[in-house]
Amino acid sequence: MQGPLIDTLARQGVTRRTFLKYCATLASMMALPPSAGLAMAEAMAAARRPSVIWLPFQECTGCTESITRSHSPTLEGMIFDMISLDYQETLMAAAGHQAEEARHAAMKENAGKYLLIVDGSIPLGVDGAYSCIGGRSNVDILKEAAAGCAAIVAMGSCASFGGIPKANPNPTGAVSVSDIIKDKPIVNIPGCPPIPVVMTGVLAHYLTFGSLPELDDKGRPKAFFGETIHDRCYRRPFYDQGKFAKTFDDEGARSGWCLFELGCKGPVTHNACATVKWNGGTSWPVESGHGCLGCSEPDFWDAGGFYKALSVPADPLKIAAFAAVVGAGAGVAVSFANRAKKNAAKKAHQPITLDDLEK
Amino acid sequence: MSLDAIPIHVINAPPIESGLTGNAPPLLRELAEQVKRLLATGESSAIDLSALPLTPADLDWLRDKLGSGEIAITLQANGESTLNETACPGVWWVTHHNEQGVVASQFIEVAFVPELVKAHPQDVAIGLEKLEFMNSDL
Repeated sequence: MQGPLIDTLARQGVTRRTFLKYCATLASMMALPPSAGLAMAEAMAAARRPSVIWLPFQECTGCTESITRSHSPTLEGMIFDMISLDYQETLMAAAGHQAEEARHAAMKENAGKYLLIVDGSIPLGVDGAYSCIGGRSNVDILKEAAAGCAAIVAMGSCASFGGIPKANPNPTGAVSVSDIIKDKPIVNIPGCPPIPVVMTGVLAHYLTFGSLPELDDKGRPKAFFGETIHDRCYRRPFYDQGKFAKTFDDEGARSGWCLFELGCKGPVTHNACATVKWNGGTSWPVESGHGCLGCSEPDFWDAGGFYKALSVPADPLKIAAFAAVVGAGAGVAVSFANRAKKNAAKKAHQPITLDDLEK
Repeated sequence: MSLDAIPIHVINAPPIESGLTGNAPPLLRELAEQVKRLLATGESSAIDLSALPLTPADLDWLRDKLGSGEIAITLQANGESTLNETACPGVWWVTHHNEQGVVASQFIEVAFVPELVKAHPQDVAIGLEKLEFMNSDL
């Protein structure tokens, strides 16, 4: 099981040059100097497989799918096999008590050294009873596993920010990993699902330099989340020229103009889709003609509708409720109702200035 | 599958601009510095083209200026890679494609021989084992 990574890769038919080439590209994506590719290849080739424990909580397994089901056996997938994945409910053969035992054994054997990957949010409602594994609550298992780990990788928007389980009205009291664990280094890799190469990049950085990559204010690797979708979008020139698609089948849409008015959240979303793309570099949402949903930002689910342009009120639910109350009071002057609506709209309005867009 | 396989017909194709940003010429000066360093100390270096704000026109300009030299190497490893010597010996234009044929990364490498071309001692040792095995059968 143990042994340098390059030997394991060789057994899978991956040559050294393939690996070198891969590392050069990875270093380029991570905005590291070109020489880092070689350093990375050398360090990773010689690296022993680190022990990784992967805990799934309130999640849909989409993050696991994203990484393990790339359409061809990619190096991402293989390197992922090359870590010593000691616990992953979806992938492991063991079940029940055997599985729980494997986790405990790995935690004991690699105390202080293992990497903890978490996907899914953690429910705190009713003492965490909404999601339990083997009779123990998620929050309990997380705290136990986090105590002995070297670092935590929060995979996907749920683990990073709470994600869809945390969406209004958050019935299970879902929170993110960083809401619970305060004393360990945490990397957030948000996205619904996250881009596989970001995961590999973080692992490669950890194996090469023995540290986590540089993070932004939301705990995301700067190399991949440093710029917005809008900044790197190939449709950006149309935005600058004021050419927008107004519906999904108009002249503008056919001409590939900017999708801002159709609700694209690209200007406020930090992710690498525009450069790394999806499905082996085939395409990505905006290239397929649909605006960005903003899935790698906190609370994207409650951001006011996927098809509402960014400068409209961010929380239409609130306005609807307010308007309904006003409507219930029959005889209230229409002008008053309108003014109330306007005020509600004003309150819910989150203006996006030009400065925000140009960041 | 490449995008070309999907029959999308762009009705109003965006006008093709000349697109020169002026970001390419400074790279030639940097290359000169790197070649000087290669001659003086033997230290190889590289410029990561995908990390720089270069338009396709800039890249064409750069490629045109550097020209092509005597050696063109093709590497089949998880997609095709080309390592082409430019008209300036020691300056190599390196393009990595992925399995779908999309450019994954692009570098200008300054070295006597690009790193990727050299055989690694460990791999050579494995090759030797193979040879010795063949000889034992003769």
